[in-house]
Amino acid sequence: VTAEQPSLWDERPRAELSEVTAPAARPAPRILRVSDLNRRVRGLLDADALLADVFVEGEISQPSFPPSGHCFFTLKDSNSQVRAVCFREQLERVVVRPVHGMNVICRGRVRAYEPQGTYQLYVDTITPAGAGDLHARYEALRLQLAAAGLFDERRKRPIPKWPRRIGIVTSPVGAVWRDIVNVLRRRYPLCEVVLSPTLVQGPTAAPAIVRALTRLYADGDLDTILLARGGGSLEDLWSFNDERVVRAVADSPVPIIVGVGHESDVTLSDFAADLRAPTPSAAAELATPDATQLAAILGRLRDRASAALAGWASQRRRLVDAERRALMGLAPDIDAARQRTADLVDRAGRALEDRTERRRMVVVALRERLATLSPAATLERGYAVARTPDRRIVRDASAVDAGSEVEVIVAAGVLRTRVESSHAAGGEELLA
Amino acid sequence: VSTVAELAALDDEQLRNRPFDELVAGLQAVVQRLEAGSAGLEESIDLYKQGLRLHAACDELLQKAELTITELGRRGPAGAER
Repeated sequence: VTAEQPSLWDERPRAELSEVTAPAARPAPRILRVSDLNRRVRGLLDADALLADVFVEGEISQPSFPPSGHCFFTLKDSNSQVRAVCFREQLERVVVRPVHGMNVICRGRVRAYEPQGTYQLYVDTITPAGAGDLHARYEALRLQLAAAGLFDERRKRPIPKWPRRIGIVTSPVGAVWRDIVNVLRRRYPLCEVVLSPTLVQGPTAAPAIVRALTRLYADGDLDTILLARGGGSLEDLWSFNDERVVRAVADSPVPIIVGVGHESDVTLSDFAADLRAPTPSAAAELATPDATQLAAILGRLRDRASAALAGWASQRRRLVDAERRALMGLAPDIDAARQRTADLVDRAGRALEDRTERRRMVVVALRERLATLSPAATLERGYAVARTPDRRIVRDASAVDAGSEVEVIVAAGVLRTRVESSHAAGGEELLA
Repeated sequence: VSTVAELAALDDEQLRNRPFDELVAGLQAVVQRLEAGSAGLEESIDLYKQGLRLHAACDELLQKAELTITELGRRGPAGAER
């Protein structure tokens, strides 16, 4: 493939192709060193009158504060960014310290920084963009203190429901103090109020407010603190945006409610408070329970006690009833028992009768046996009993001398006899 | 905060000198114990009486309460607000 026969794939126009084939037509390029390039660019920038004193509006991003005392940051908008530096001498004079996210107007000059081949904005003044000076300082301080964590939600403490002592920092002169006292007297006269009076306006107000707060902090026995001021212009309320005051509020050892100005006024002290109240009166309300509601709550508690006692009684009654029913189920059958008893008595009686009869029969038998053993019966059978006159039974014939008297007793009668003779012979003679 | 038993041991005068929230907490505790229903008859009746006492004390405190105001940097209470 030669130059005259371009490839099918080469889409460059023909004229350009011919130029490629004839390079020797142009002058040799001038080759610059990097330093030369940077110096040339710097010269161009320095020569531009606009860039020598320029106002640039943008958002500050990632400001850094190295030990040198200078401040380096990036200024950016939605599309572009440029590096910026504010040297220590200028930084000490700027209205607002550079804070990340802050919209500002920087005044300065643009120069190239030869060693790096970059250009940057050398800032002489920084002023807040779009608003007046106070607003800007407010915004700057807000961002700064927020970054320091003073406004963190997790720092917020709950406000005690039943405050015994409430500390109040405000001016004792004027409607605000009177309003607060009226609200507290109406809602919760049970609490004790400790007023720490202060100026709330003018150039000396901020340190005065800090002193008044510090006096209360030293008390050590407060449940809640209110910091209050009536409405006014942004300038009037400015003390409550003073960093010293905001930090003092954040340092409160007990929950603090800030009520400054009207609903629409939000000071930096509001952000640092545990609770923000739209007005001073609202602060007093937020600090206390409502006594009229309290009476109702107490009444309900008493009713609950009554109901609980009544419930207790009826529950116990139900229990007793249940127990009684259970007992009745377990109760002995009296009738059956009575029947059983009757039966037993019956049987006992019968048994007794039986035994009596048996005994009677035994007695009869004994009597009959006794009868057979009676000497009278023996005599009936024909036996006779001989005895001496002194009533000794004669069993041995030799015991009776001839001539002596012997009574012979037979079944019917007694024979008085005199012994003729006696022979010693046994009873067997009777049977011979 | 005192227990129900500690509050029960106080006479009426002492009861009125306790902090209000303590009395309310005591009353709440009494009601809860009554409602639990585990107390015996005598105890239940005692609790109920105790509840009535606490309620009366709270009520009286509310009726008679007057805002007390002290001003720092001055001696004693600010008389005008007493």
